Amino acid sequence: MFNLRDWGAGVWERSGRPVRVLIALGAIAAAASLPLLGGTFLNTPIADYGSVLVFPVAIFVIMALGLNIVIGKSGLLDLGYVAFFAIGAYTMGILGTKTGLNSWEILPIGIAMAMFAGLILGVPALRLRGDYLAIITLGFGEIVRITALNLNSIGGANGIVGIPTPPTIFGLEYTFDNHRLYFWTFLIIILLTIWMIRRLSVRRAGRAWESIRQDEDAAELMGVPTFRYKIWAFVLGASVGGAAGVLYASKTLFISPDNFTLQVSILILACVVFGGMGNIWGVVLGAIILGYLPDRIRFISDARLLVFGAVLVLMMNLRPDGLLPRKKREKALPEKGQS
Amino acid sequence: MLSNFQDQFASLTVGGLSLGFIYVLIALGYTMVYGVLRMINFANSEVFMYGTFATIIVIRDLFGFTQQSEPATGFRLVYILFLCLIASMLMSGILSIFLELVAYRRLRNRGSNKLAPLISAIGMSIVLAEFMRILTDSRYVGSPRVMEKKSLGTFFGAELRLDNVIIIVAGLILFVSLSQFVQRTRLGKAIRAVSMNEDAAKLMGVNLNFVVSGTFLVGGLMTGAAGFFYVLKYENTSFNIGFELGIAAFTAAILGGIGNIKGAFYGGIALGLLETYASFFLGTQWKAVTVFIVLVFVLYFRPNGVFGEAITQTRA
Amino acid sequence: MNERQYMKKQRLISVAAVIALAAGSAVAVAPASNAAAKTVTIAYQGPLTGEEAQVGIDELNGVKYAVKLFNAKNKGKFNVRIVEIDDQGSGTEAAKVAPGAASNKKILGIVGPAYSGATIASLPFYKQTNLPLISPSATRVSITDPAQGLIGFPVFHRIPVTDRVQGPALYKLATRGVSSPKVFVIDDQSPYGVGLVEYMKLGGATLAGQDSVPDKTTDWSATISKVKSASANVVIFTGYYAQAATLFRQLRDSGYTGVLAGGDGVLSPGILTLASASILEGVRLTGGTVPLAEISAKLEADFKAKMGVSSGTYAAESIDAANIFLSCISKGVNTRAAMLKCVKAYKGKSITGSALSFDKYGDTAGGVMNGFEIKGGAIKYTGAVK
Repeated sequence: MFNLRDWGAGVWERSGRPVRVLIALGAIAAAASLPLLGGTFLNTPIADYGSVLVFPVAIFVIMALGLNIVIGKSGLLDLGYVAFFAIGAYTMGILGTKTGLNSWEILPIGIAMAMFAGLILGVPALRLRGDYLAIITLGFGEIVRITALNLNSIGGANGIVGIPTPPTIFGLEYTFDNHRLYFWTFLIIILLTIWMIRRLSVRRAGRAWESIRQDEDAAELMGVPTFRYKIWAFVLGASVGGAAGVLYASKTLFISPDNFTLQVSILILACVVFGGMGNIWGVVLGAIILGYLPDRIRFISDARLLVFGAVLVLMMNLRPDGLLPRKKREKALPEKGQS
Repeated sequence: MLSNFQDQFASLTVGGLSLGFIYVLIALGYTMVYGVLRMINFANSEVFMYGTFATIIVIRDLFGFTQQSEPATGFRLVYILFLCLIASMLMSGILSIFLELVAYRRLRNRGSNKLAPLISAIGMSIVLAEFMRILTDSRYVGSPRVMEKKSLGTFFGAELRLDNVIIIVAGLILFVSLSQFVQRTRLGKAIRAVSMNEDAAKLMGVNLNFVVSGTFLVGGLMTGAAGFFYVLKYENTSFNIGFELGIAAFTAAILGGIGNIKGAFYGGIALGLLETYASFFLGTQWKAVTVFIVLVFVLYFRPNGVFGEAITQTRA
Repeated sequence: MNERQYMKKQRLISVAAVIALAAGSAVAVAPASNAAAKTVTIAYQGPLTGEEAQVGIDELNGVKYAVKLFNAKNKGKFNVRIVEIDDQGSGTEAAKVAPGAASNKKILGIVGPAYSGATIASLPFYKQTNLPLISPSATRVSITDPAQGLIGFPVFHRIPVTDRVQGPALYKLATRGVSSPKVFVIDDQSPYGVGLVEYMKLGGATLAGQDSVPDKTTDWSATISKVKSASANVVIFTGYYAQAATLFRQLRDSGYTGVLAGGDGVLSPGILTLASASILEGVRLTGGTVPLAEISAKLEADFKAKMGVSSGTYAAESIDAANIFLSCISKGVNTRAAMLKCVKAYKGKSITGSALSFDKYGDTAGGVMNGFEIKGGAIKYTGAVK
């Protein structure tokens, strides 16, 4: 079967440096021009095209990239990823309304908070494997949401209103309806995240994660400190989720516990698997499609979630490794009775 | 508060137990499939939800009950309840087999990665829930009362209400039958064989597809029974009840040790009691948090759940 | 059966609306009968698909009814169109659809948003573009509370009185005629439910006990135990009708014989399909709304004749909200700024007969809270709670 991923990788590897730069610039330019294509067939009926591109599309891409470190790279099933997103968003919400700090100053704080939460969750949870890890992370996601719901000091059920927009930089004004500027800013952050993940994956950490994903026991026997690298993957994934949360809050300006349900975790997981676990480009594509699709097909009105579910089933059956799967040689053996 | 707790303890326990048995039956749906395929059957929650609707259809449409009708009594009541139970078990059992065929079989035969079936299951779960939502116009559907909820007396200060007693007794019977089925019948033995070692079982002449379908059927039947009990106890349903109950039941299965039938039993009951006590003591708003914190502690000391994995250990 | 067919038709209409919107045009509810008539556009925003769709469809019918009367009366002069904005009642969705409505300059005013969360998420866009809103049902206090940062000022207005009034009124109604009341309050953790309890307490309510339960709770045994250990004789639920039905059922089954009460979230004919009349007998409810049939049987009959379906919750509020915009339109208003000024200055009558005008922050001046009681399997109006 034709494998777009392998074909793409082949073209990339055969090309010299200038061609690679051209390809990369072309891809970035194509992505950056997306908000300008509102008048074309890409336009979303009812929902505003510009804001759909920012949320869910761009935010989903960032979150999916982060979750991919945890699931795709190191094979840890995390069903509570929304917790880190929520922690980032609430950090932005609380600090943004109660202190004079602006979005860019809060961003590192939000990331740090999410990483800290990742550490707290990771230390007990990462001793567990497979589905036990899944349910613990799922529980953690719910704990964060319910705590936010029950604490009146951070808005309780009402959430936080009046979160400030990011401050003007280089004369660019972040008014809440300037969707293009938000999109381009988020695109830069997406590119930074991709760069970071790519650098890491070819180094020691990347090789360690790969070995853990394929066979944790063997990795441990070969001297890979698996626990430490699992924590590392978890915390790194959390940091990206936290960053997405800060950005989301400074775009929607109003957050409430309803924004951080388990469904979000599941949707992001679907983005990762749908696109192609472990492959950055696949994950990006998956997040774009699953973020965009429900709003694009709004014209079928009431049935659109039904269609969305059917698409998931159909695609997973036709392409179980995702739209753009990881390279063949990286594929692990089918996992069976691993525990 | 403490003296209040003592006063209410007995009735909380009865309520928690009957809720626990509903969890046990749904958890069995998860655990059976997990034991054989090592896979979370995410859509089991919707299998449960369809079971509740089957019960209501029998009560409302087959027997013509309305909110204003008199509850049935005597032999007619037994007959109606029995028919409801059969209907929801069949509905869920058949749906469960269908689910396996559509969402899992192809992936399983191709030996795909572990997450593809999970996403496929999530997709199926969305499809099933949305289909029901459109069918019911997003509304809650109430069940007319078929059985008067009379008290059978008190036991250590707890009122033994008929519906709770039926759920506990019938739940126990269903659980024992399932254990016996897995221990003694041919299909049960085949299920255990596949659960222990799939390849060896295949070599020994076990028809894998048949066993897998059988597992889904049995899991679905149990989940469907839970759907009937749910309607009997709470007398309403809606397209979106599956998700939360499913998560709770899955937690119960994990708590006891997923893949282990006995684990699902104790896990379900423990969860039902824990939720009820925690709601009373700490406030209902902290119920879910308490449950998960207990789960973290349990798994910290017993990483494979209290009773460990493997469907084989029903006798342990 | 009739209702189901109607629903199907509704869906077709909204599909058509969506397709038309996609093409960038507004939707005419009534075909233009006269080319000389001036076409004016208003919008309705609320949940038209998804879990909460019924609320939105009921409200939209109220708006359509008002517009239908207006267009018939002003044939040749005005032709008012309605754009449907579907926010599914959720803040997340509202933030996606509001920018489109805000930038559609044809829309002079919006009846809605129906829900408070969606309102708060949409408001930045509408404030930016000076688009006047009149909500038939968003009752969260904070939207118009100047102490909480002027979230809705100046564009937001609403017909129903807020939970600041409803909280104390509900307490008063629930304890009416009960000697030595011991009140137990249960909220559903929604902003609405929590807020209602908060304002009940601010209004001087004394509570014997309280519980806060996640929405979708179906097992109430722990809460019921608490009610019993507080030996309460009045139980108030601040949440929505589906949960209220299961709570009231389980409370009665457990032998509780005291008063049951709820706010406007419970005030829905839907509750009658979820529990038997004997269980619901005597349940006391409050609501700012008045069913059309209570205003006059003739009005309800006319509504049914024109819309092909009975009126739903908040029908009166939706008609009032639409009527305010329509009266401004008939005065020749054709910009958003003029519309906002006209709405602020509006002084008129509600279809309930009471006077209707807004204060500076967009709340109706002098609104009343009505009491209801379920008797013999029907919700009966019992007069204003004073």
